[in-house]
Amino acid sequence: MKSWAITTTNIKRLMRDPSTIFFVFVFPMLLILVLGASFGGGFTPKVGLLLEGQGEFARAFSDELTSDDDFTTVDYDDRDLLLEDVERGVVQMAVVIPADYDTKIMSGQVAEIEFVGRADQSVVQYRSTIEAVVAGESAIVRAARLLETEGLNSFEEGTTLARAMATGSTGPEVEVQTMGESLFGEDLGQFDLGAPQQLILFVFLTSLAGSAALIQTRRLGVSRRMVSTPTSIGEILVGETGGRFAVAMIQGLFIMIGAAVAFEVRWGNLGGASALLILVALVGAGGGMLMGSLFDNDEQAGSMGVFMGLGLAALGGCMVPLEIFPDTMQTIAHITPHAWALDGFAELIRRGGTIADIALELAVLAGFAAVLLALGTWRLRAKLTH
Amino acid sequence: MNVLECEGLVKAFDDLVAVDGVGFHIAEGETYGLLGPNGAGKTTSISMIAGILESDAGTVTVAGTEITTRTTEGKAKIGYVPQDIAIYPDLSARENLRFFGKLYGLPKQSLDSRIDEVLEVIGLSDRGDDRTEEYSGGMKRRLNIGIGLLHEPTLLILDEPTVGVDPQSRNAILESVEQLGRRGTALLYTTHYMEEAERLCDRVAIIDGGKIRAEGTRRELVELVGQRDTVNLGVVGSAQRLVDALGAVEEIESITSTEGSVEILVEGASSLLPRILDIAQQAGVGISGVEVVEPNLESVFLHLTGKALRD
Repeated sequence: MKSWAITTTNIKRLMRDPSTIFFVFVFPMLLILVLGASFGGGFTPKVGLLLEGQGEFARAFSDELTSDDDFTTVDYDDRDLLLEDVERGVVQMAVVIPADYDTKIMSGQVAEIEFVGRADQSVVQYRSTIEAVVAGESAIVRAARLLETEGLNSFEEGTTLARAMATGSTGPEVEVQTMGESLFGEDLGQFDLGAPQQLILFVFLTSLAGSAALIQTRRLGVSRRMVSTPTSIGEILVGETGGRFAVAMIQGLFIMIGAAVAFEVRWGNLGGASALLILVALVGAGGGMLMGSLFDNDEQAGSMGVFMGLGLAALGGCMVPLEIFPDTMQTIAHITPHAWALDGFAELIRRGGTIADIALELAVLAGFAAVLLALGTWRLRAKLTH
Repeated sequence: MNVLECEGLVKAFDDLVAVDGVGFHIAEGETYGLLGPNGAGKTTSISMIAGILESDAGTVTVAGTEITTRTTEGKAKIGYVPQDIAIYPDLSARENLRFFGKLYGLPKQSLDSRIDEVLEVIGLSDRGDDRTEEYSGGMKRRLNIGIGLLHEPTLLILDEPTVGVDPQSRNAILESVEQLGRRGTALLYTTHYMEEAERLCDRVAIIDGGKIRAEGTRRELVELVGQRDTVNLGVVGSAQRLVDALGAVEEIESITSTEGSVEILVEGASSLLPRILDIAQQAGVGISGVEVVEPNLESVFLHLTGKALRD
């Protein structure tokens, strides 16, 4: 009961701090969104399409582009607006079919299609896809021109015939084979990779930086005053640990549920994901207790907490996926609890693992939690009574 | 029956012995003062008495129950008001009181009404729901005391509760302490203000260098320096001529002079003063000012330790 009073007071104080609310709840979700949108899979580029000519060839080209699954086309009727949207990234590229497109094709001249992309690497990838559509249309025009030259059909009849032939026949196909497994799984959702990284990063970061609150309680003299009440040191330590744990759990649950609802992140086996979250929160609470008992200055502890939280996260694979680390760095990464927690989530999310499949990861995290909590409470007990 | 009995308390921090064999007792309804300068060992002593700090040696018993950092039973009988304002600034007074009320084990049913009573006593009823970070220093001090009163302790320990407080709030705090004393609460009050000890305490212990140098009522302590008054005279002319003229007065115990002043140690200054002034006139020495200082705890402290309380 007394421990619960200490724990709930910790939570109440956290919830009253607007900056904490932002960094604990809002910022992690923003990062998941931004990283998922920028680097996650499932991204379909948008092509802005301006049809200045309305002839048969222009419409045929437009239809071909629209039916391509690699793009989403957005129709424009204002050239300036289209170019501005490319520049701002509203659409990734622009295709302009000029007014004289049909005339030039019919008269045997070279018809040009204007392609506008952003000045970065993506323009190369997008251009090749647009060129494939252009090549298809060019083949039809060349076939029609051949039939006309040979006196077999008019150009218009030849075009109709060639288009029908192109639709009904198949050309050579490139068979693509892959070797080995995909690093991140075949059906990984856009946010599935980043969400566990941000979950672990922020739970640890908040716990370590939150050690400042523990020091503040000591510096205010409230901890000593608690000792003066008929509350045992054990109850105080359980209450303070509970406070750190509860804050970590609340944040972790918010990120998990929020990411599942807002970004359709699949966390895999419920039991396994819950066990991982509980242990990550316990390790974070232990780290926060230890830092809160080692330092006497809350500002110093807060800064060190952020530094360690970010440093361990980077080393443990929360910023760059562990899978692309060199082998040696992957081994070194596993001195952090982050790497073990990420391994656990990878097993659950990407390979459909169960709680039994992550037993090793859970055991290691439990070990981290036990050691950190034991050291933290031991140090804090000494600080309170000596 | 004594409410508090402590004996042979010792605490050292590395090589520094902060408290060295402190022992005293407080009877029911008694207000007991620990008077000493900063660093004398007052806070360390009461930290051990409140069960916050582990002692290296000695025992503390409150209302028959031994107190250590590990015991909880006896602590319910103690109210502790630390020198620092030990409250959560981001909680209201009511929330702070509720938090500590739970730690004191007050029943849920009566907690709210007891909080209202304490807010009334400390004069914060109308600000009870405001965050304490918005309070003035005096209001925070009053809440600091209120938390110690919440569970109606048998012994209330106040560690320099008026440090850093404006005169008006200080007087209000002293009046509250006097009221508590009148209600029969045993009080242990530490201070380095001689006036507070004289005003509030039934008995006073003079503490310095971690040791109690003397203990007793004000009268008993003053008797230690022989109830002598000090007469300070401002002199126009030769101070030495006045010293020579007063040399024949038997009642004068000692006399010292500096340029422009003469200090006379004497028993019963009020009766002897007219004669001293006559002698000065006869000697042709003008007197520009007269001050009579009766013995007080400050002079007791000076006598016992050779230094002033505020050194």
